[in-house]
Amino acid sequence: MFTRRTLIGAAAALSLTAMSSGAMAQDNMYVALISKGFQHQFWQAVKAGADKAAEELGVRVTFEGPDNETQVDKQMDMLAAALANKPDAIGFAALDSQAAIPLLRQADEAGIPIIAFDSGVDSDIPLATAATDNVAAAALAADKMAELLGGEGQVAVVAHDQTSRTGIDRRDGFVNQMEEAHPGVEIVTIEYGGGDHLKSTEITKAILTAHPELDGIFGTNEGSAIGVVNGVRESGTEGVVIVGYDSGKAQKDAIREGLMAGAITQNPVGIGYETVKAAVAAAKGEEVTGDIDTGFFWYDADNIDDPEIAAVLYD
Amino acid sequence: MSDLIRMERIDKHFPGVHALKSVDFDLQPGEVHALMGENGAGKSTLMKCLSGIYRPESGRILIDGKEVRLSGPKDAQDLGIGIIHQELALMRDLNVAQNIWIGREPRRAFGRIDEGKQNRDAAEIFASMNVRMDPTIPVSSLTIARQQMVEIAKALSFRPRVLIMDEPTAALNDAEIAELFTIIRRLRGEGVGIIYISHKMDEIKRIADRVTVMRDGEYVGTVDAADTPISRIISMMVGRELSDETVTIPDLEGAEVALEVRGISRGGELKDITFDLKKGEILGFAGLMGAGRTELARAIFGADPRDAGEIIVHGHHARIASPADAVRAGIGYLSEDRKHYGLALPMDVRANIAMASLPRYSDRLGRIDERKLAEIAADYIDMLDIRTPHDGQPVQLLSGGNQQKVVIAKWLLRDCDILIFDEPTRGIDVGAKAEIYRLLNDLAAEGKAIIVISSELPEVLRLSHRIAVMCEGRLTGILPGGAPQEEIMALATRRDSMTQEDAA
Amino acid sequence: MSDAPAAKPATGPEPAQAPVKRRGTAQQKLLAFASLIVLVIGFSLASPNFFQVSNIMAILQATSVNGVLAVGVTLIIITGGIDLSIGTLMTFCAVITGVVLTWAGAPLILGVLTAVATGGLVGLLSGTFVAKMKIPPFIATLGMMLVLKGMSLIVTGTRPIYFNDTPGFTQISQGSLVGEVIPAFPLPNGVLILFLVAAATAWILSRTVLGRYTFALGSNEEAVRLSGVNTDAWKMAIYALAGAICGIAGLLIASRLNSAQPALGLGYELEAIAAVVIGGTSLAGGRGTVLGTLIGALIMAVLTNGLRVLSVAPEWQTVVTGAIIILAVYGDQLRRGRAST
Repeated sequence: MFTRRTLIGAAAALSLTAMSSGAMAQDNMYVALISKGFQHQFWQAVKAGADKAAEELGVRVTFEGPDNETQVDKQMDMLAAALANKPDAIGFAALDSQAAIPLLRQADEAGIPIIAFDSGVDSDIPLATAATDNVAAAALAADKMAELLGGEGQVAVVAHDQTSRTGIDRRDGFVNQMEEAHPGVEIVTIEYGGGDHLKSTEITKAILTAHPELDGIFGTNEGSAIGVVNGVRESGTEGVVIVGYDSGKAQKDAIREGLMAGAITQNPVGIGYETVKAAVAAAKGEEVTGDIDTGFFWYDADNIDDPEIAAVLYD
Repeated sequence: MSDLIRMERIDKHFPGVHALKSVDFDLQPGEVHALMGENGAGKSTLMKCLSGIYRPESGRILIDGKEVRLSGPKDAQDLGIGIIHQELALMRDLNVAQNIWIGREPRRAFGRIDEGKQNRDAAEIFASMNVRMDPTIPVSSLTIARQQMVEIAKALSFRPRVLIMDEPTAALNDAEIAELFTIIRRLRGEGVGIIYISHKMDEIKRIADRVTVMRDGEYVGTVDAADTPISRIISMMVGRELSDETVTIPDLEGAEVALEVRGISRGGELKDITFDLKKGEILGFAGLMGAGRTELARAIFGADPRDAGEIIVHGHHARIASPADAVRAGIGYLSEDRKHYGLALPMDVRANIAMASLPRYSDRLGRIDERKLAEIAADYIDMLDIRTPHDGQPVQLLSGGNQQKVVIAKWLLRDCDILIFDEPTRGIDVGAKAEIYRLLNDLAAEGKAIIVISSELPEVLRLSHRIAVMCEGRLTGILPGGAPQEEIMALATRRDSMTQEDAA
Repeated sequence: MSDAPAAKPATGPEPAQAPVKRRGTAQQKLLAFASLIVLVIGFSLASPNFFQVSNIMAILQATSVNGVLAVGVTLIIITGGIDLSIGTLMTFCAVITGVVLTWAGAPLILGVLTAVATGGLVGLLSGTFVAKMKIPPFIATLGMMLVLKGMSLIVTGTRPIYFNDTPGFTQISQGSLVGEVIPAFPLPNGVLILFLVAAATAWILSRTVLGRYTFALGSNEEAVRLSGVNTDAWKMAIYALAGAICGIAGLLIASRLNSAQPALGLGYELEAIAAVVIGGTSLAGGRGTVLGTLIGALIMAVLTNGLRVLSVAPEWQTVVTGAIIILAVYGDQLRRGRAST
């Protein structure tokens, strides 16, 4: 007799044996990281940094995130499941700060320290935030773009999001820096592609149709930047200066081929590393406060292979 | 000479059913052997054992005197046993030749199909059957009868020594049946053994050499077809003698007219049809397949839109644009296809009886009064003698006759006094047929006005107080009950145009 | 009426007509429930952190939204239809509630009614497309899914609407009426609402005309129409009811997140449909139970939570969940196959 019960039972048993090794290591300190995603290369690099710190500090780290950045409630379920495991500290990159507050409060009451990473959490519960200063990083992108255009021209922005902190900061950091420091450069339009390659491609093509005189485009994250490159390539337009954000194989190739002028890279490995480090310190009762700037760099065809840059880029 | 097929003491169980109880059967070369029995008697199960679909638990199957083991349909095919199933198993979107050669397509290099050879081979088979058929036309464009020819051609393409035909004439008209019999006789002449399953007595008399009767999974006996009276075969099937009643026509001189149909037309299917139906009357509709009888019923019932015509119920003009309107006017329609149009098969007897009357047995919140419905269901189960263990039985587990009674109960509960029965006994076995006939007579005697559409002339003759005959969408005449068959057939074939292509 | 009943066979019904149906459904529910218990026991043995009140509450909380959606779509699936718009309809209802409560400052009860009414009206619209305009449900609701997603983004200007100005709004999902009575059992209100919605829907399905026609439409729509039932109207009513239930899901998710997140919703329809299918409801229509759906939703939530508590890598979590869906339905097929021969 081969019933659903036996099937599910078998599956459960299978997963138990497969996972028991992970669940056994109870002696080590345990840090749960809840991120905004796990599929993108950026998050995998954050995870790599977290794993590196875990190894150095001798702690156990788990890393999880929802399938896409709209699934606010899924992230809540992950946070709840993480709390059930009674971690020593939690690293958390909030999709929506407000929605997370009840659970964060629950963690706080349980005495579990929380370190925010990637983007801040609008709450005083997290002890510290390990993140890129996105405003400053986007301002650097604006400076480089203006420099490449010789101080004047028309520029468009393909942003990944208009609700999240990173989306707002990168857009505003770029736009404000342009207005203040480079009055000759005009920002003709800002569009949002959700960080999706395909959507950003279509958006870019539409922008190029609407603004044939366009000189430059800024893509605010990996998906947006690759979308911009694809859109420019597909429409056959030449002479548009593309500035990207983050890395990934496609973006690096585009820079090597000269399709993209250059990009801002955060230090995702550093984000993961610093988060775990701060979390462990907090769990040990050490003083951890304020913002941990994990740094950013400008990279282009000239410096892409420098050891310092190559170390923070990911494929 | 040994038997072509000999089956000895075949036994087969299904969960809860002893389907075959030590059944014997034999078939000679060049013989048409009819296999008869009521639904559920075990005919199909026995034939599935012979064609390798089921494996008997005990007993032997011998072919040419040698015992064989059939572990699948392929084995049976290889031994020259072909079967034509009751339900057509054709792929509607492929053409005729593709259907015949499916799985055995003539190949050319690189896996290409040799369509030319395929079509030529198919044409050759049809030529041998003396049937005109273009092998390249899609099956979906053929009539049911023509599709049947394709099935037969497919079976013949295996060059079978044994051909099993399960109710092959269910969808055929007389001309087509005659054609089929010509083919069967030719095959018999070539030494093919044919096992012929049918309910139709007249066909058995015309085509079969011997008749084997089964009942309740048991072998009853084998008789010579020519010398055995039909009544004896029937009594073997049902295990009792059936009286052969004839219609008694009541005097309806003063009866009120229940339904008047005036000038109904619909596309090319129905042309200006006018008739009356009195209370207490059974009006039979005869005609060949495609004469438009079902279309007429659906048009009266509002299931399909009408182009023209009016319907007067009890002297009042009735606006009928949907089945809901018709039911409100007191008209019920019992479709020829109960399973598709009459019943919600997975639902139970009680729910099906109540299907048309639910609002009457529910309160303002929509809550159903199950206790009341249980009482009602019990009443109808008793009154119509519906054989079911309880009213919670899914109707798909009932026999055809009992399913039909459930549909009748549904309309009686809805207070319909005009009932249209479309093929009321299709798929119902002989014993249950008589019950349905008696039920219809009782309903008429109570004052219900009844229309019976039937393709079986004996059924029309036995039931009808008057007989309306249709041909090609026209009402060609109304005859008194008990009219001679020749007159009915003359009206049924009185064509307006002779342009219509005859089947082969 | 029949003056001389034909000789009844002494055996009554034919032996093939054994009453298998009732036992079948009971057995099926039992099997689904047993699977759930096995999962819970398995995870409890594997991790001491799994079977704890707080984690069980987290699982139930995670079931609430998907569970309510699944109960709603169960109705439609029983009619033989499908509704792909439930996820984005949920979001749209949350957004409209946000407009009414936060932007217009209406009292809480009005917001609740708005959510349910919005869901009901949109469901009625979908039902009209399906029943009156004869657009296949897959297509009609696929279209609605995209329309509603866009409408949510348009209405909000793509920004979430927060409910900070409506005191008590978060209590709809996060508070615990049960916990006030029994402190040891802080069942979130969201879960309580799920159970209430499920109970009400189960009652409608088993006791009312609407429920009866829901099954009948799925079993044989043409037979129901030829019985003189206005099938179009009933179908529209069923879609409207399912829509109203999505409105309740919208309230739950908005309350849980203290915000109406306009971009959320895509993908939720498939999770709900998965729960329905695991619960033994046939996508072909005519058969299904609310209890099965509820168990299906719980199985999914237990599985997701359990794998997380065991720290299984997220990539593998999705693989296991997918495999379980296939196994659950396959197991059901095997059982059915055995029952029908």
